[in-house]
Amino acid sequence: MTKFLLLAFRNVFRNRRRTLMTLLMVGGGVAGLLLVGGFFAFMFRGLRESTIRNGLGHVQIFTAEHFTRDEVHVLDTGISDWTKVEQRVRAVPHVRGVAPRIEFYGMLSNGVKSSVFMGSAVNPSTERDMGFTPNVVSGRDINASSDGEVEALVGTGVARSMNVKVGDGLTILAVTADGALNGMDVQIVGIVNTGFKDLDDRYLRITLPSAQRLLQSDRVTNMVVGLDKTENTDLVAAALGPRLQGLSQPMAMRKWIDLAAYYKQVRTLFSGIFLFLGIIVFFMVLMASVNTLLMAMFERTREIGTMLAMGTPRAWIVALVMLEAALTGLLGAAVGLVGGNLLGSALNASGLHLPPPPGSNVPMLFNVLHVPGIMIGSAAMVMVSLALASILPAIRASRLQIAEALAHV
Amino acid sequence: MPSPLVRVEHVSRVFAMDHSGVKALDDVSLRVGAGEFLAISGPSGSGKSTLLNLIGCLDRPSTGQICIAGTDLSTLSAAQLTQLRREKIGFVFQTFNLIPVFTAAENVEYPLLVQQVPARERAARAAAALESVGLGKRANQRPDLLSGGERQRVAVARAIVHRPSLVLADEPTANLDTHNATQLIDLMRDLNRTLGLTFIFSTHDQRLLEHTPRIVRLTDGRIASDNQGESHDQVLAACVS
Repeated sequence: MTKFLLLAFRNVFRNRRRTLMTLLMVGGGVAGLLLVGGFFAFMFRGLRESTIRNGLGHVQIFTAEHFTRDEVHVLDTGISDWTKVEQRVRAVPHVRGVAPRIEFYGMLSNGVKSSVFMGSAVNPSTERDMGFTPNVVSGRDINASSDGEVEALVGTGVARSMNVKVGDGLTILAVTADGALNGMDVQIVGIVNTGFKDLDDRYLRITLPSAQRLLQSDRVTNMVVGLDKTENTDLVAAALGPRLQGLSQPMAMRKWIDLAAYYKQVRTLFSGIFLFLGIIVFFMVLMASVNTLLMAMFERTREIGTMLAMGTPRAWIVALVMLEAALTGLLGAAVGLVGGNLLGSALNASGLHLPPPPGSNVPMLFNVLHVPGIMIGSAAMVMVSLALASILPAIRASRLQIAEALAHV
Repeated sequence: MPSPLVRVEHVSRVFAMDHSGVKALDDVSLRVGAGEFLAISGPSGSGKSTLLNLIGCLDRPSTGQICIAGTDLSTLSAAQLTQLRREKIGFVFQTFNLIPVFTAAENVEYPLLVQQVPARERAARAAAALESVGLGKRANQRPDLLSGGERQRVAVARAIVHRPSLVLADEPTANLDTHNATQLIDLMRDLNRTLGLTFIFSTHDQRLLEHTPRIVRLTDGRIASDNQGESHDQVLAACVS
């Protein structure tokens, strides 16, 4: 069999220019998929991590009621025993921190103009410890203990529309847990750019005690759990289940992927684009390879006739053609993997930036991740493509009439 | 008389062409004994190659019967015909038909590779075959580095390496100069005598016919003469005319 393999290998390099063109085409397809797939993977990872670090966290804990009924009043379905939940969650390995949060909304006013806000109340030091640091473009982050004044962060859109800057004051109005209206003066200590324009236009952040005072409740909306690595999410989620039993309120949790609707939409869209590209490359390789292999078989008609005359089983001829195609695919994939990875590394080193994507105002770093799954998938794809491409030439070669093939000029 | 190695009985071969048939062979009967050195002669289009293709199991007759070593070819399946070619027949072609990416030794090994002979035995037998055609020192050369005569000798080595009962050669000297043609004729005659190999070849090369004890002459798909039992000079004269 070694000789047969050798024959196939030498046949591949028989017409070097044609083989080179085929390898460049196959390799180009693989490299293209590696670059596109690697960039998409980088984008997904960046979006995933920014989604998590923008405050989503890896796991969020709510009361079970939160998902079964709408709140009549704010914090109606909030967690009352949240310090106990925090203690239990912190004991789980890979947990870096647990941040209680209140999500609320209301109106804010500068005395002249009013606007709706979506507020988030946090423990700033806990958030910072977990790496959930807001992107403060002006001023500083809020502090847990401040003398008298309630500190607030607002989004760039809020600052622009309300015509306020760091050091200015705003009044916020919200409905309390009892259904009454309550107000509070806050001082803007920082302006935040979340990367999402719609959010920047509504963003407000104050400390947890301030929000509890405003809303007149000691409950929190949810507990955000931060982990050492995103890859440990499933592990931690499995460990958390039993630890959330036996509390005064039945609890429920959601992993980040369940809450990251935007991430999922983006991922689905770009995965579809990648699949489409893969299909185009697949058919490109298929069509070009069929043509190349048919030409090669046509040129070798007499040789194949001779092999058949000498008693070579027709199945061997089929195997030979398919082996040659497989070798071409293997070499093309290798060329593509090496080329794609080298090109990817060169692009990464260049520090190239792309314009901000839709919904963002931050230029995007162009980076290509070296993803083993994409490498294996792309290589396998061209191998399958070459295998399919070889079927027609192999069948034609095996069905040659020997006497006619020997007379072929 | 012992049973012949090749028996051709009333064989015709008609090729379909443009709504009509072209009769390449017409009621040909022929018997070739083991160890014979036989030439099929005749002008172009007389049916020489067609007859060789039929005897070599590369084609099937339209009518008639061909037997090799007592086996009626019409009773064999395609796979059995392939096996018969693989084991019993060696081929030498006018244009050598060597595999260009193989060395001379690898080309000679090929019939043994198809028979799945172990690698070591293949190499030894290929080396011996090349030695027997005087190309022991050219074993590792690819065909493109060999002369025409050397290529045809490699082809002869390839045809005999698996010890076939019958070697079929289609115009083996047609692409060779006189020197190489003479060498090849001597080699084939020598292998015929020393190994007892049966050679059937098509030719209209006078140099080759002069060394051939039996000549079957075809004209328009029919046997015009067969010098079996006749004088060689008579048939040779007919061939030349």
